[in-house]
Amino acid sequence: MASRILHFQDVELYYDRVYALRGVTLELEEGETIALIGANGAGKSSILRAITGLSRIDSGSISFRGERIDGRDTARIVEMGIAIVPEGRRVFPYMSVKDNLLMGAFTRRDKAEIRQTLESVLERFPRLQERYRQVAGTLSGGEQQMLVIGRALMARPQLLLLDEPSLGIAPKLVQDIARSIIRINREDGVSVLLVEQNSRMALSISHRAYALTTGNVVVSGGSRELLNDPRIKDAYLGGAA
Amino acid sequence: MEQVVANGIYLGSQYAMIALGLTLIFALMNVLNFAHGQMYVIGGFVTYTFYGQFQMPFLLALLMSCLTLTVLGALIEKFLFGPVIRRSAREESTMLLAAGIAFLLDAIILLVFGEKQRGVPKIVDGVFNWDFRIIMPYDRILICALAILSIVAFITFMQFSRTGRALRALAQDRDAAQLMGVNVNRYSMIGFALGAMLAGLVGGLLVTITGVNLGMGGPTSIKAFLMVMIGGAGVISGAIVGGFILGMLEAVGLAVLSQYGDITYLVIFVALMIFLTIRPQGLMGKPWG
Ligand SMILES: Nc1ncnc2c1ncn2[C@@H]1O[C@H](COP(=O)(O)OP(=O)(O)OP(=O)(O)O)[C@@H](O)[C@H]1O
Ligand SMILES: [Mg+2]
Repeated sequence: MASRILHFQDVELYYDRVYALRGVTLELEEGETIALIGANGAGKSSILRAITGLSRIDSGSISFRGERIDGRDTARIVEMGIAIVPEGRRVFPYMSVKDNLLMGAFTRRDKAEIRQTLESVLERFPRLQERYRQVAGTLSGGEQQMLVIGRALMARPQLLLLDEPSLGIAPKLVQDIARSIIRINREDGVSVLLVEQNSRMALSISHRAYALTTGNVVVSGGSRELLNDPRIKDAYLGGAA
Repeated sequence: MEQVVANGIYLGSQYAMIALGLTLIFALMNVLNFAHGQMYVIGGFVTYTFYGQFQMPFLLALLMSCLTLTVLGALIEKFLFGPVIRRSAREESTMLLAAGIAFLLDAIILLVFGEKQRGVPKIVDGVFNWDFRIIMPYDRILICALAILSIVAFITFMQFSRTGRALRALAQDRDAAQLMGVNVNRYSMIGFALGAMLAGLVGGLLVTITGVNLGMGGPTSIKAFLMVMIGGAGVISGAIVGGFILGMLEAVGLAVLSQYGDITYLVIFVALMIFLTIRPQGLMGKPWG
């Protein structure tokens, strides 16, 4: 049996007096890709903010590989092996592609191995190689998305969190990104938590999925089944198809 | 003409270092460090104490200035700015705190070092004379060279070291930097200490030329703010450009305008007001990069 890498249990999170999460429970097994789908404001990003410690949770618990991480500093949490592709990409705009990637390896000290990871990331995203010295703020949206995925891989994480990596990106590139996520999961053995509004893409590349409405998990299950689930079809896949 | 340019470069090299420290602190923490001039003065007094009074080697005294300000900067960040920033979302809280720290440091300087003007023996004697076109004492040339060397070292550090990269990342996107594993509290402290150290270093360099006294803090802060206004806040290149422009303006002013009385700074201020209404973000205005 695979072991549980992330356990997000009965988490409530409020911003001032507005609730974002009302008792959400999620589990992620080692080696799994799970998708988190839901409309704007459902609380998807809040779940990732809670995991990374950017937002404090008000009740419940979050464990990573059996260790409680809620209440810890963000820096300490990511050091444990969690990397994130944040909402809105968040490249370091005035830094070169190279420096952005090196920032991704900030938690690591092994210079020679960082070099190796850098080479493999550049190999995987040749476009980044071409733009190596360019300032990140001047990259196109799609290139920036590759950059932040590459930056996350530089940490050599055990768990990768992605917040809407397909947002604002041409359909052709969405496929590329979907493929790289599959590869990260299968070849690199990284567990993946994928937040997406592009539910079809998310369901087609994940093992299991959770559908979220206003701070609650309303449906969860195997992604393949959910693709044909009428509740999901109506609410998240735009009815038809 | 050559003489004016040489004077401008000499002044500019000192000014650029002051502006770099100020702009680093601003970029990292969004704090306008009104106490920057006082930190400069402390640096001057520390070098005066070790080099002038205890007759230690100049470079050692300079190192003591750097060390003192690094520690002082770290303490001020850890116990004053850090907690205030964490607790208050309002920007004026840090501004008022910065002003308060300036007063506090002035009081401490008065207590520890007194109110007298202090000077130190020349670090080298002699005057460089190029055909009466450029005349400059050797000690000024040496101080200028040391300043430029420090600027180059600082930029190299910011550009190529792991810590420098983390500081730049923090200035550009606080949350994203945290998500890469940068400990905000620790790196804010490092950045503040580094900025303070630069102020102390210039103070230690310039005490050999101008001496030092209690009253220099406020005016030095004002000059630092001017440079940042000219170059643009929070940018390395802006601080350097601003520093050299102000140095040059002052050199030209002293050469050309002084015959009309003490109006150099009046002219600079008027020009700056006009410039700022046209380009409020300064010449290089963009975030740290
Ligand atoms: N910093 C904040 N302060 C106050 N309320 C917030 C804050 N961040 C999010 N919220 C609220 O919390 C709720 C959940 O937001 P969240 O960003 O988690 O949604 P989301 O599912 O990621 O939405 P989207 O698809 O638009 O990114 C929303 O109602 C939002 O308005
Ligand atoms: Mg979101």
